[in-house]
Amino acid sequence: MTVATPTDSTKRPAGRGPRTGAEWVTFTIACALLVALAVVIVTRSGDDAPAEPVASQTGSIIRSAAGYEVPVEVRNVGGRTAAEVQVRVELTIGGEVSESDQVVDFLAGDDSEDLTFVFEDDPADGELVVEVVGYATP
Amino acid sequence: MTAASAVDQRGPWATEGVELVAAASGGLLFGIPMLMTMEVWWTGSHTTPLQAAGVLVLTSIPVFLLNRTSGFRSTRDVRVRDAVMDTVEAVALGLVLVTVVLYLLRELTPDTPISVAIGKAVYEAFPFCLGISVANHFLRGERTEGDDDEATEASPDGGLSATAKDIGATVIGSVFVALNIAPTDEVPMIAAALDPLGILALMAASLAVSYGIVFGAGFSRQDQRRQHTGLLQSPASETVSSYLVALACAALMLLMYQRLGGPWTLTLDKVVVLGLPASIGGAAGRLAM
Repeated sequence: MTVATPTDSTKRPAGRGPRTGAEWVTFTIACALLVALAVVIVTRSGDDAPAEPVASQTGSIIRSAAGYEVPVEVRNVGGRTAAEVQVRVELTIGGEVSESDQVVDFLAGDDSEDLTFVFEDDPADGELVVEVVGYATP
Repeated sequence: MTAASAVDQRGPWATEGVELVAAASGGLLFGIPMLMTMEVWWTGSHTTPLQAAGVLVLTSIPVFLLNRTSGFRSTRDVRVRDAVMDTVEAVALGLVLVTVVLYLLRELTPDTPISVAIGKAVYEAFPFCLGISVANHFLRGERTEGDDDEATEASPDGGLSATAKDIGATVIGSVFVALNIAPTDEVPMIAAALDPLGILALMAASLAVSYGIVFGAGFSRQDQRRQHTGLLQSPASETVSSYLVALACAALMLLMYQRLGGPWTLTLDKVVVLGLPASIGGAAGRLAM
């Protein structure tokens, strides 16, 4: 078995010629990309408003094999990310309250998540309350 | 054929293209396990733009140092100025490619907020860019002239032995890269998030990357590989058959870790998802052996 030389000096030519046109093009594109990224980072670094997750019902209730499905969207209208966002939907029919909870792991600023809550009884018969009951700082 | 004359014959644009493919190959080899790690996606989700900038700066330092010594260019003895420019290109290329892969895996969508997208891309780009910087060192190979002579003599032999060697190398490479990922939850997570079009896109990407690593990146013994005759030895058929071998390996790994249950459609999706790192590893394995 032959011993491999420690570097790849046998394969690559030593030293580089002047940069070719193609290399300048890729370098310029790369620079432009990084500059654009830096600009985006700088302009968004002031986005430090505290997290504010808000839940609301979106669209009408669907009757399915599982039951009555309530579509809900929870959106973080603040700047910072909220973790463990707990969304609760309460259905009150004639004094009886049934609840359904879901937890969203991460909700970044401006991000939203679509959830579906399922109830046995028809929400049209009673009162639906959709709210965020808690969240954590990641 | 020395690398220098190969550069001259290809022309500057083709050379640049080949070097970028080489960079991408190195990046993928190092970066694909992190690209399929949910904790990195989560960290990216709650990264502030300032933290992202810090990670980018941190990434640039080892990338610059590595570019000074190995890098992805087909020449050595890189000067400081060239290393800086290569670092800029490596970081930009890494960011672009991880964004593409994150889109393929549906971790980034058109609805993703910009700060989340930047956070995820920047954290995933760190190992990717390291891979770009060592692409030459690991993939261009440290072979003596003696090894190449043996290979030249072996290839006219052609036929089944070359095919068997390729299959073996694909298997070893696939297992090497994909075994870490096989038992993890990310595989069914990604599989669940992909619609049929996404699965097809993943397959196309796996084939393209596999071809690029072995035949497109200017790494060792490529011209000899193109001239291989024998069963399944033309570049296109070798790429396709190696992809099938990688998929088979992925299925076996999932089976071994008891991760294959459920409807057959989900199983197929999981195999294709694990097939991405498996085919990257398989391609690297064929390069290395």
